[in-house]
Amino acid sequence: MPDLTTTLGRLRLANPIILASGTVGYGREYASLIDYSTVGAIVTKTITREARAGNAPPRLKETPGGLLNAIGLENVGVDRFLSEKLREAATVPSALIASVAGGSVDEYAELTRAVASREEIDAIELNISCPNVERARRPVWDDPEAVGTIVRAARNATEKTLLLKLSPNTADIVSVAEAGEEAGADALVVANTLTGMRIDVEARKPSLGNATGGLSGRALLPVNLANVWKITGAVSIPIVGSGGIADPDDALEYILAGAAAVQVGTALFADPGAPGRIAAGLADYMQRHDIESIEECTGLARKEKEREWQRTTAG
Amino acid sequence: MSIDPKNCLFTLEVDRRFPKPLPGQFVQVASSTELTLRRPFSVAGASRPGEIELLVELRGKGTRSFAETHEGATVSILGPMGNTFSEPSTGEIAVLVAGGIGVAGLRYLAQELSEEGRRLIILVGARTREALLLGNLLPSATEDGRIRLEFSTDDGSAGHWGTVCELLDSELEALEADRIASPRLYCCGPPAMIREAAAIASAREIPCEVLLEEIMACGTGACRGCVVMTKHGYRTVCSDGPVFDAAELVFEEAPNA
Repeated sequence: MPDLTTTLGRLRLANPIILASGTVGYGREYASLIDYSTVGAIVTKTITREARAGNAPPRLKETPGGLLNAIGLENVGVDRFLSEKLREAATVPSALIASVAGGSVDEYAELTRAVASREEIDAIELNISCPNVERARRPVWDDPEAVGTIVRAARNATEKTLLLKLSPNTADIVSVAEAGEEAGADALVVANTLTGMRIDVEARKPSLGNATGGLSGRALLPVNLANVWKITGAVSIPIVGSGGIADPDDALEYILAGAAAVQVGTALFADPGAPGRIAAGLADYMQRHDIESIEECTGLARKEKEREWQRTTAG
Repeated sequence: MSIDPKNCLFTLEVDRRFPKPLPGQFVQVASSTELTLRRPFSVAGASRPGEIELLVELRGKGTRSFAETHEGATVSILGPMGNTFSEPSTGEIAVLVAGGIGVAGLRYLAQELSEEGRRLIILVGARTREALLLGNLLPSATEDGRIRLEFSTDDGSAGHWGTVCELLDSELEALEADRIASPRLYCCGPPAMIREAAAIASAREIPCEVLLEEIMACGTGACRGCVVMTKHGYRTVCSDGPVFDAAELVFEEAPNA
């Protein structure tokens, strides 16, 4: 049996498949449909300090090759998460990553400290990239300095593995990635959803209650794959590829581009069996190519391309 | 089976492990691999073991690609999902109010209640007489008046001329006059109809449950995508519903009110 284990900071995962924040709630909701033994980790719905009601509906709009969502970080708030939801989430047999989003640097530190103090939580994902709550002209995810400050504050609050979830809604994702690494993130999640919208022509208004939303699903794969490609050349911490992964080959593309792990989200809605199918597909690929450990696959396409570039330069 | 140009009734053979659905519950159908989301459909019948029926209005890509599924094909369904209606008590008469394809959400309930020998008034509203073909799928009216079936059309081409809520109001007026049974309402239909039925129920202080439809992603309560506003904040149609007590719902102001 090929070795699917992979490492993010101090966190050792049984396999590189992580279920993305916002798509599985706190894990329990999907317990009868998802076989969690096929999953390396799940990421909780993002937790904020205060409970959030979320955006006005409609919150979902399907679009060719993808899904627009504008949930607006609806969640019970950190206190109720710790007192109620964590118990449910902890029944999931895979590793548990808590996603947090703060309204300030202090809040990120406070939330990180609060969730990291619980032994059920194995790692923390800093969500700096939700497109549905930000109102600033220059959002935080677009500002390497601001991102560095948040990560540093969170880093000082915990020794547990710290993941930073980047946004594709920026012209220079590499600088943000570098700032995150420099500030002490253990891994980068590349990346969140891409801002998008649709309009209902009969009603003459945006399809989503929030007007704009985040695009996920297959349409996002080439965008975030290219982001992984760009970032792996610039940082040395592990990367978690995310965006449009529904099949084993999708996950492999991210891994070959340089990801150590992947997140699966939107694909669960059509097929809760997707994680198991992808894990089996990875194992099958490794057997066919005589690869013992999935970690050997990370960045193979980049290495291949670099060799090609070198030959071209040399010639 | 095609009911009319717009609506189809599907019979799905389900695995033995598939639990018997309750009225009001829905299934999530993977109608096409081209689509990102499954499509939720109310269980429109499950009276025969090993079978469920879905009544589908051909509206968009999801429903159309499902309709093109040829006989004998295998489709993936998840479910049954969601909650169910509360049962009418002994002294109550069930009044079912369906607007158009809302028949899909109430047909199974109507069948079960009819099977149990309950008193039943079924009101079906539609734009024109063609849409009333849906009514043929419901339990027939009985001669003893235990089950009554009444129609309304917006254009007056069949049944009562007017909306189904106007019909409802006059039926309730008549029931109130004869004081034999107190009504309990069950409604499914377009948002404006739901809102009006809820207002009628509230004014007459009658218990009223509504089956809501929303665009859904997960179907399990995880993604928070299909919310409706209630007196207790947002609730998901998929896991807190799809059946809600009408008195709990907070309706938006009607656009032209």
